[in-house]
Amino acid sequence: MKNRLKVLRAEHDWTQADLAGRLDVTRQTVNAIEKGKYDPSLPLAFKIAGVFQMPIEQIFLPKDGA
Amino acid sequence: MKMNPQTQSNQLDRELKSTARRLFVFTGTWVASTALLTFGPRMWWEYDVLTTVLVIALNLLAGAMMLFAFFRHLKSMDELQRQTHLEAMALTLGITMIFTVVYGSLPTVQLLEDAHPTNILFVMGITYILAVARIWMNRTSE
Repeated sequence: MKNRLKVLRAEHDWTQADLAGRLDVTRQTVNAIEKGKYDPSLPLAFKIAGVFQMPIEQIFLPKDGA
Repeated sequence: MKMNPQTQSNQLDRELKSTARRLFVFTGTWVASTALLTFGPRMWWEYDVLTTVLVIALNLLAGAMMLFAFFRHLKSMDELQRQTHLEAMALTLGITMIFTVVYGSLPTVQLLEDAHPTNILFVMGITYILAVARIWMNRTSE
């Protein structure tokens, strides 16, 4: 799964630690999601969508772009 | 009331440290009661059955408390940490099973005089630590 987390975070001028604090996860988790090394659970994906106030499908995209 | 991100992050950290401390204490108690059970009958109470049974009960209780503390610690982790530990546990289970079968058959095929179950604990512990480190580094390397 691809995601736009890094871009969205930059738009809000947040560090990984800032976003991690808002999501109640560690900074390493945010880093792993941004790098595509870890796909978040559905509850965390919804939480991310809530933080950025965007629909989930505008943040997470399938790898093949379908 | 909405907490600021730094406070939330600190709370996660504090919770993790608190459950880790509790796990450390109960693991220590379990190790101490295991040592008491192993050496006590010979060194301190000359194989008195009642005392040995009481120490076995203490050991089982300490083991149960350690297990609960471990689950609490697991629950206090964030999802990446938890998944890392669960994957490491799966790997540890598999490797320990393979090792146990081979190690257990060594006395039968006369390559070893005795197989000690405690050696399996060492394999489990070392495998678990290495697996956690490897999986975590794989996922979080910058």
